[in-house]
Amino acid sequence: MIDYTKYKLKPVEEIREIFNQIDGSVFILICKKCYKEFSTNTELEKENLYNSLTEENKHKIVECIDIDFLCNNYHTKKAITDLSTKIIDFIKDSGAIGVISCGLGIQLVASLFEDKKVLALADSVPESGNSTSPQGYHGIALGKEKCGTCGQCYLNRTGGICPVVNCSKSLLNGPCGGAKNGKCEVNPDIPCAWEEIYFRLNKQNRPLLNEIQVRNFNIFPFKNKKEISEINLYSRGKDFLRGIHPLDKKNLTENSKIKTFPEPETVIIFLSQHAGAPAIPVVKVGDKVKIGQKIGEISGFISSPIHSSISGTITAIEEKTHPTLGRKMPAIIIKNDNKNEFDDSIKAVSLDNIPGEKVIEVLREKGIVGMGGAMFPTYVKLFSKKPIDTLIINGCECEPYLNGDNRLMIEYGDKIFKGIEIVKKTIGVQSVIIGIEENKPEAIESMKKQILGNDYIKISILKTKYPQGAEKILIKSILNRQIPEGGLPLDVGVVVLNISTLYAIYRAIYEGMPVIDRVITISGDYVKNPGNYLIKIGTPIKSIIDFTCGSDFIKSDDKNKKIFMGGPMMGILQMDIDTGLIKGTTGLTIMESYPVESSEERECIKCGRCVDVCPVDLFPLQYYYYGKKQDWQKTAEYKVKNCIECAACQYICSAKIDILKYIKKAKKYAYNKT
Amino acid sequence: MLITKLKSYNELIPCFSDKVFVIKCSGCKEVYLPEEEIDIFLEKQNQNIISIKRLDYLCNEDFSRTYSETYNNFIEKSDVVVIFSCGVGVQVISKILEYKKVFAGCDTNYINGFQGISAQSWDCRQCGECYLNYTGGICPITACSKHLLNGPCGGYKNGKCEVNSEMDCGWVMIYNRLLKQKKQEKLITKCRIRNYKKYISTDNKISK
Repeated sequence: MIDYTKYKLKPVEEIREIFNQIDGSVFILICKKCYKEFSTNTELEKENLYNSLTEENKHKIVECIDIDFLCNNYHTKKAITDLSTKIIDFIKDSGAIGVISCGLGIQLVASLFEDKKVLALADSVPESGNSTSPQGYHGIALGKEKCGTCGQCYLNRTGGICPVVNCSKSLLNGPCGGAKNGKCEVNPDIPCAWEEIYFRLNKQNRPLLNEIQVRNFNIFPFKNKKEISEINLYSRGKDFLRGIHPLDKKNLTENSKIKTFPEPETVIIFLSQHAGAPAIPVVKVGDKVKIGQKIGEISGFISSPIHSSISGTITAIEEKTHPTLGRKMPAIIIKNDNKNEFDDSIKAVSLDNIPGEKVIEVLREKGIVGMGGAMFPTYVKLFSKKPIDTLIINGCECEPYLNGDNRLMIEYGDKIFKGIEIVKKTIGVQSVIIGIEENKPEAIESMKKQILGNDYIKISILKTKYPQGAEKILIKSILNRQIPEGGLPLDVGVVVLNISTLYAIYRAIYEGMPVIDRVITISGDYVKNPGNYLIKIGTPIKSIIDFTCGSDFIKSDDKNKKIFMGGPMMGILQMDIDTGLIKGTTGLTIMESYPVESSEERECIKCGRCVDVCPVDLFPLQYYYYGKKQDWQKTAEYKVKNCIECAACQYICSAKIDILKYIKKAKKYAYNKT
Repeated sequence: MLITKLKSYNELIPCFSDKVFVIKCSGCKEVYLPEEEIDIFLEKQNQNIISIKRLDYLCNEDFSRTYSETYNNFIEKSDVVVIFSCGVGVQVISKILEYKKVFAGCDTNYINGFQGISAQSWDCRQCGECYLNYTGGICPITACSKHLLNGPCGGYKNGKCEVNSEMDCGWVMIYNRLLKQKKQEKLITKCRIRNYKKYISTDNKISK
């Protein structure tokens, strides 16, 4: 790995001179460096700094502080405002602030403390030698290839070897003639780029230059540069800071109406389809069950009952691989008798004159859980004793490929609105806000129509950005409230419900129907008939794949296929397809697997991209670094509890490190300890 | 920080006269990749395209080797590989596919900032001899279009640069900054000559 460290300490004499001119104390900020092999060690810089100072000057230093990615505007500002008052006093009283960083970090600190003297104690390291334009450009990986960012790529003419950076004279019309034994005359350590170009083109039987492109130094005007910087800063800063914009491919299914998926032959209904204790089966093998009949009972304060989604006979109660937990869990297997008989318990509930607690009880009995994926029992959320002032309806669906909630809003806006009314009445909130991303104009229109004339309910149109739909982020975007570390939305007086959950609530009350089916999106590269389907809970994944990808899909070479329950970002990779759909399944995406898999083993190069995309202001690279060392104390100090596991860091990671694995381990430790 | 822009159609269309395998590098998408423009262009050229793959971080040679192995059958069937990425990605792939014609579909430009993916409002040219101590923390090399080190050229109008009227004059900014620190006398005390040897010398690099 090439070390592209951007700075080194100034020469000793210069540092001494700088310090001699300072009256009063000096506060030192050190950048932890980037583009290098990971280490958090800045001791060497400190030591060298102290060694180059005289005794008298050493005493001028009051405090040294290390900062990750000092040039990162947002984080550095935050880190400085978060410093303890004692340290801030040091800064106020000090005669100067010394910065050990590349020029970017120093300029940032200087702009933050405009009225303070800011000392540059380091020089940036010139990287690319002869490049005639801004330097050090190596994409994002630490390779040898450089790009001179000339704005008129010559690589098409030169067989992929760049004359602008590789020829020390940046010649564009052939060799200068000064090369000796294939080496450059300016610097005999480097090969003559034009000879390399000649040999490369020979291999491809291509002529060397049949035309010359003259270089235009004005190709990228300042105006465009500024424009692009502004677009970039804007798109990253809107609503919540950072986040990512993955390829969403929503167009595959956004216009396909919700269809009913064919009735399954058998269903696999897991006893654990919710956060909390698994349900206890109340039926036995051989029993006949009807649609909507309760087959599993609540077994703790946080739990939920389960219901049969078809009518038929119970053939087994056995262990199957759970689609989200990934381990064997008990499930009830029911064979369909295709009689479609409904259970007697399915009766609409009259809302007149019944107290809120009664409604919550109905919702509990009907097995309503958060259907956005987390599967937290809804009755627990609504039963909270904490004061709640706002109900947020999550219609973001920021996950790529998925359109289930979008279609529900378009087609069943009236029912969702009725669901909102039920919840509003039950918990007595004054204000309801529906958050919808701006890429769903049809859904926004449909919901606007529904809420007409109801002042308490508003639609908040949010920027399309992942992970806009994560609870914590949504609350921040809409209400600008910050959930405390390890806390819940209830802690800031908010209940967040997902569109599918509201639809289920509507059906539970107005139709008496427990959660036996839901709308999911089936999409992805391999799906022949992508669409949004109303599908029974417990439908085997295998039968879904047979239906959507053809029955020979499974038999053929499986290495290149990935089946995600959910979308490609937060969805869970299915290793075993002998499993069934659960209440929290938002979709099924069947994708071509990516040639380079994320791995825990690769080396971090400290490019800082994960820090830049993290929507909750964490430093994901630290979880990798300390996780690898199994230093779980440190990962907890870096607030791993705040992580929402959106996987944005893993998505952007330029080294393709499986950061999420480290985060999950670190979280486990953080929660077990307290 | 580098960003990419689509080459002109005149330049691109001849690349698509033979059978083409297309790679789009989405690694820097959060920075800037004209993906929509690329897709519109590719749609018009689809008769000769064997396949289009959306990959990321072509600049990482290990990844690029894996990609070229994985998609070897497409590459073999094609006469030309066209890559929409920065100059680094194209150079890495051409090195791996030495015997194949590899064409660049994008031009690479430069915007301020190194680290991460957010653009910056200031820049560092890595001159190797930081001047920020003398200029209140505003870099004359990047903020002045003439890279002047001994004060303003005198050609600015209303605080804007004479070379580029959209740009603020770096020396006016420096003066104002020093004014805030009551150090404007600093402006006339010292002028350090730039040592270009530092800029080009390879000894200056931190040992690998």
